[in-house]
Amino acid sequence: MNAPEQMKQFRHIGTRPIRPDGVDKVTGKALYSPDFKAPGMLWGAILRSPHPHARILSIDTKKAEALPGVKAVATGKDLPTLESLVMHVGEGASDIVDISHNCLALGKALYEGHAVAAVAATSPEIAREALGLIAVEYEELPFVLGLEEALAEGAPVLHDTVFTKGVDPKPDKPSNAAMRVEMGKGDVEGALASAAATVSGRYTLEPVHQGYIEPHACVASWNGDGQAQIWTSSQGHFAVRSLTASVLAIPQADIRVTPLEIGGGFGGKTTIYLEPVAMVLSKKSGRPVRLAMTREEVFRATGPAPGAVIDVRLGADADGALVAADVQFLYHSGAFTANDAGAGVSSAIGHYRIANTRVVGTEVLCNRPAAKAYRAPGAPQVNFAVESAMDELAGKLGIDPLDLRLKNAAAEGDPQTSGLPWGRIGYVECLEAAKAHPHWSAPLGAHQGRGVAGGYWGNYGGPSTVNVSVAEDGTITVATGSPDIGGSRASMAIMAAEVLDVPYEQVRAVVADTASIGVSMVTGGSRTTFATGMATVQAAEEVKRLLCERAARMWGVPADQVEWRSGAVACLAGEAQGQTLSAAAIAGRSFHSGGPIAAVAALSAQGWLPGFGVHICDTEVDPETGHVRIVRYTAVQDVGTAIHPDYVEGQIQGGAAQGIGWALNEAYIYGENGKLDNAGFLDYRMPVASDLPMIEAVMVEVPNPAHPYGVKGVGEVPIVPPLAAVANAIHAATGARLKDLPMAPDRVYAALHPQG
Amino acid sequence: MSKIRVSTTVNGDHAEFLCESTSSLLDVLRDTMGLTGSKEGCGSGDCGACTIMLDGEMVCSCLVLAPEAEGRTVATIEGVAEGSVLHPVQQKFLEHAALQCGFCTPGFIVAAKALLDRNPNPTEAEVRYWLAGNLCRCTGYDKIVRAVMAAAADLRQERTPA
Amino acid sequence: MRIVVMAPFDKEFFGTGRLDLAPRNLFDLVGKLDALAPGFAAIAQPRVHFAVDGVLETDWTRPLAEAAEVIVLPRVGGG
Ligand code: FES
Ligand code: FES
Repeated sequence: MNAPEQMKQFRHIGTRPIRPDGVDKVTGKALYSPDFKAPGMLWGAILRSPHPHARILSIDTKKAEALPGVKAVATGKDLPTLESLVMHVGEGASDIVDISHNCLALGKALYEGHAVAAVAATSPEIAREALGLIAVEYEELPFVLGLEEALAEGAPVLHDTVFTKGVDPKPDKPSNAAMRVEMGKGDVEGALASAAATVSGRYTLEPVHQGYIEPHACVASWNGDGQAQIWTSSQGHFAVRSLTASVLAIPQADIRVTPLEIGGGFGGKTTIYLEPVAMVLSKKSGRPVRLAMTREEVFRATGPAPGAVIDVRLGADADGALVAADVQFLYHSGAFTANDAGAGVSSAIGHYRIANTRVVGTEVLCNRPAAKAYRAPGAPQVNFAVESAMDELAGKLGIDPLDLRLKNAAAEGDPQTSGLPWGRIGYVECLEAAKAHPHWSAPLGAHQGRGVAGGYWGNYGGPSTVNVSVAEDGTITVATGSPDIGGSRASMAIMAAEVLDVPYEQVRAVVADTASIGVSMVTGGSRTTFATGMATVQAAEEVKRLLCERAARMWGVPADQVEWRSGAVACLAGEAQGQTLSAAAIAGRSFHSGGPIAAVAALSAQGWLPGFGVHICDTEVDPETGHVRIVRYTAVQDVGTAIHPDYVEGQIQGGAAQGIGWALNEAYIYGENGKLDNAGFLDYRMPVASDLPMIEAVMVEVPNPAHPYGVKGVGEVPIVPPLAAVANAIHAATGARLKDLPMAPDRVYAALHPQG
Repeated sequence: MSKIRVSTTVNGDHAEFLCESTSSLLDVLRDTMGLTGSKEGCGSGDCGACTIMLDGEMVCSCLVLAPEAEGRTVATIEGVAEGSVLHPVQQKFLEHAALQCGFCTPGFIVAAKALLDRNPNPTEAEVRYWLAGNLCRCTGYDKIVRAVMAAAADLRQERTPA
Repeated sequence: MRIVVMAPFDKEFFGTGRLDLAPRNLFDLVGKLDALAPGFAAIAQPRVHFAVDGVLETDWTRPLAEAAEVIVLPRVGGG
């Protein structure tokens, strides 16, 4: 491995070639989940609960079955009864029983939009008509949506099987507190009592949706012999396979999942909703079945990021050194146990050196769709509270907010919240880059203010399989098991071309189906360029070694008498000394030198490092309307090494835009009746082009010593700092400290006009 | 319910199809004609992924009833390139990495081409407001706006700084 | 060897955050922890990360003879 410390000049790393799947995507040829059709395919539709919490007394499907054109009807009873089993699906741990019951409710509907039955018919119109003929008898139950309400004495309890995890002694009663995670050290109360300056506050956030533009869809075909195919887009087709097989209690190898192009995921497509249902309908009808969600279904039934209530107290010495932090939060878990509390705890205050800390996170069940991963899952919420409090503390102490962060910033060797020492992280470097950036010292106009916030995400490594093979003409195919959600095929081709020292166009990267490559974890956790990249490099190195070995045998010289040079093998000794053999020359005759040339790397990547970011935001607040305009935005991030800088910048810009939307507009709005009032893009307002300025992405490169090219994960971090950066900028512009998201015009106006 | 026969022009070719009176043009393009380049992100006119040109006007095809295409001219993303030669907007989207997942891309390209067809020299603000009906969740719009500006410059035969 | 169990596993399984065990490797540690608190092994893979002497270790076969401390902490996935 090249130690990044002695980084040589790269030929491809850091260049910006056109992605291999680009032309298909700008011409409309690329096939996404809702685009796929199988011969003889039926159209499915799903009946969803109109009630936020109800017992399902009976489901009568006879009339629907009798409708001409209807070929199959399914309910929760068509899924096998499973033993509880906690599985890791890339976004965290989930019980397979919960996943099954989320696909089709059994016994109770736990949120408005919960799937209760499904049909497959010869046309979408007939399928929809059939839904109206299914008679479900419900007994409505009291429901609960709010975090503190769900924990209150006498609140309706969603599951009588949930006893709070992480408390001792074990509770003797079930409750909506799914899990409590507490970490800390030192004497928080003592340190706060003697601190020169303290701040405290309560911050709240509503759930928000990942907002991918492609709704969930799949086609499944399950034959009588037990073998099945699924065509779907997801962040991990191996996760789709293992989860679907587990829900249906069938062998994984009986399912072949073909990944279609994915229209965004952001964590929300690391699980399954439709696949087992489509499978059951296919088995019953004997035909391939498509299930596709409408946008409304996506909002009502797929996972939002948790809303939160967060209490923060910080204390510092007069010179700004933090002495204590107390962070306690409640996160929505929705209808089933999610897993964001642990991530929230480890993402809260680890970016600062603080001797006395307490971080307590509790996950709360309520009658909302099951929370799912959304970009740095669990981190932005708690970061919003902590980084807003840091801003307040800087004001109290009269210290520049970047200086306050620099004074306390964690560096390599400092302890994280868990006590583990940080590796080679780049928070200090990001803060310094932010301070040196012209944005930080640029003049501001009337009603404008500047805010800053820092944040981080742990990133991940994990299992990936890559196959690098050489065609007879010497061109290279890189097949991975990692869905390409934002340009990873280009990054893999770049890394393989770098190893082999051949032109980028000589290497083509594809995403292979579950039958054609080994197991790979989801594209998520900012792991793909790191872990799948590591496997790509390893397999390409092995191909290089094989080509050298073959050339040596062709020349009849010992293997150490040849050398890889500029994409070809050079002979160093013997009669052939000075000659070269290209990959084409070797591969073209490989059938007579031992067979085709290919190498598989299957590994579980270790040595990942977290990413850190610092965002600077200028806002302009209209005092008449409370409208907040983002005037200028700069996002600084330690990216390790940028393999394809365009797509690194794109990740940073996209994450920042999502964070700005979360800060200013996005929120799930429920009515008194427990039903979602804004299940569409008109009322769930995500940022559009005219809402945003250019977003300057500043890449700081502090290479990861554990990766051959120094890669750190990039995708998650940029959604972490924007919430507080925007809030701090609004405070700077107006003097009003907003602690409740979203900071929509009505809230800002009210904060500016407290009287009126 | 008997189906309606519709006769229209799609990307320059004569086309006929049968549809329900309630079908959207988007559904017919995608499901009947196999032109899946136009995407459905919402079905309610709020995301622009289904953007097409109808008699030269930019519309959300999810909001157009399929029978309304009778006798009219439909242009979709599939007709933007001339054979294998990309339109400058398409080329600049590639060069500027203006797509990540690419699901919003056909809608943006059709909309951006419509803008440049009537305004060859738009300001950044004009580009942003023109494209405000198209949602992209991946890119934060930065590279999309740059790609459209670059395509405009290209179309004006100007040289653009890289 | 010192085994430090972080939340929520300390309270969820062991009633303590400190244990003293001599596992051969992390597979052996999972077995020994499961013997103390049945059910731990079933959730170890999906929910737990181990850090050996301050460094996360996902290879559970690595011999621990030289190690001084293993931390048992929650696994964080990602989106
Ligand atoms: S699908 Fe037509 S605007 Fe969204
Ligand atoms: S590139 Fe994914 S929505 Fe625009």
